[in-house]
Amino acid sequence: MKNIKLGMVLMLFCIISAGLLAGVFIFTQPKIDANSGIAFESSLRDALPADKFEKIEINGEIFYKGFDKGTIGKQSVYQLVGYAVPVSSRGYSGAIQMVVGINLSGMIVNVVIVDQKETPGLGAKIIIKDFLSQFTGKKSSDKIGPKEDIDAITGATISTAAVCQGAKEALKKYLMLMEKNTNVQIPIIGDN
Amino acid sequence: MFKYLSSGIIKENPVLRLMIGLCPVLAVSTSAINALGMSIAVAFVLVASNAVIAMLRKIVPDEIRIPIFIIIISTFVTISDYVMHAYYPALYVALGVFVPLIVVNCIILGRAEAFAYKNPVFSSILDGIGMSLGFALALVTIGVIRELLGAGSVFGIQLISSGIAATIMILPPGAFITIGILMALLNKMENKVQ
Repeated sequence: MKNIKLGMVLMLFCIISAGLLAGVFIFTQPKIDANSGIAFESSLRDALPADKFEKIEINGEIFYKGFDKGTIGKQSVYQLVGYAVPVSSRGYSGAIQMVVGINLSGMIVNVVIVDQKETPGLGAKIIIKDFLSQFTGKKSSDKIGPKEDIDAITGATISTAAVCQGAKEALKKYLMLMEKNTNVQIPIIGDN
Repeated sequence: MFKYLSSGIIKENPVLRLMIGLCPVLAVSTSAINALGMSIAVAFVLVASNAVIAMLRKIVPDEIRIPIFIIIISTFVTISDYVMHAYYPALYVALGVFVPLIVVNCIILGRAEAFAYKNPVFSSILDGIGMSLGFALALVTIGVIRELLGAGSVFGIQLISSGIAATIMILPPGAFITIGILMALLNKMENKVQ
C-alpha cells in the first residue's frame, strides 16, 4: 500500500513538471524555429550573396539556387546568380557542416562553416576569414588540398583537410547538377 | 542568516574547496563569456530548485526524495535550455551539451540534499545564491585566465597578440593547471588567515 502511495506522489510530480514544460515549450518553440531559419538563411547569404534562395533536390542532393533581384523594363525579375551547396565532411571531432557558394562560372564564392566541433584554439580556427577566404575563386580543376594550394592551420591538418574535402565535394555536386540540366536556363520569375 | 550567503563564495566554494561540479568547469571555461553564460544558467537552476525543494520538503516522502529532486532540477534545466535556445542562440550553441548536463551537476543535487531538504525556503534561497556566486566566481576567474593566456583576449577583446598565446591553456590540460594553481593559492591564503 505504501509503495502505491509513493508511486502516486512521484507521478504527481511528473505530471506537474510535464505540464510546466509543455507551457514553456509552446511559448519558446516558435522563436527557436525562427532563429534556426534565420541562422541558416544568413549562412546561405554569406556563402553566396543573393536576394532570394530556392531549394531544389536532384538525385537526393540538396541545392539552393540563388537569385538576384533586378529589373527588365518595368518588370522586376529574379536572375540566377549561382548555387549554395550544403555539404558535410568529417573533421577531427565530428562532422563539419558547411555551405559552399558557387557562381555560374563554377568558381567558389565563399565557404561558410555552419557547425563544427573542432578543438578550440586549433581546429576551431577553420571558421576564421583569413583561412576560408583562400577558397574563393577555386574551381573543380584546382587541387584544393592542404599541401597544394591551401595554407593549413598550424596544428590542425585534419580539420584543414576536412574543409578542403567539403569544398571539393560541393564542386563535384555542382558539376553533377550541371550535367543534369545541360542547358541552364536563366529563369525569369514574376514579382510575387 | 548572512553566513548562508557568504559560505559558498570563498569558504565552501563549490569548485575550489568542495571540488564538485568540475566537469562543466573544465569544459566551458575556455572563454570568459562562456563561463559567464554557464554561471547564469547554473545560478537560475540552483536558486529555483533550492527554493522549490525547501518549499516541498515537508510533503516529499523520504524514500523517493532523490527522484523527486531530479524531476524538479531537470524541469528547471529544461526551462533554461528552451529559454536560452530561444533568446540567446549564440550562447546556446557555445555551451552545447553542457546546458542539459546541468541536471547532473553535483553542486545542484548536492545542495538539494545537504541544505534545501533540511532548511526553510529563505535560507535555501540564500544558500543557492551564495553557492551560485562561488561557482560563478571560480568559473569566470578560470575562464578569464584561460582565455587571456590561451587566446590573448578577455571577453572577446584582444589584449595581447594571439600569436604568443599558449594554446594549451584553452585545451583540457590548461583547465587542470589553472584550477590546481587557484586551489593552491586559496589554501595558502587560508593558512595565512589562520
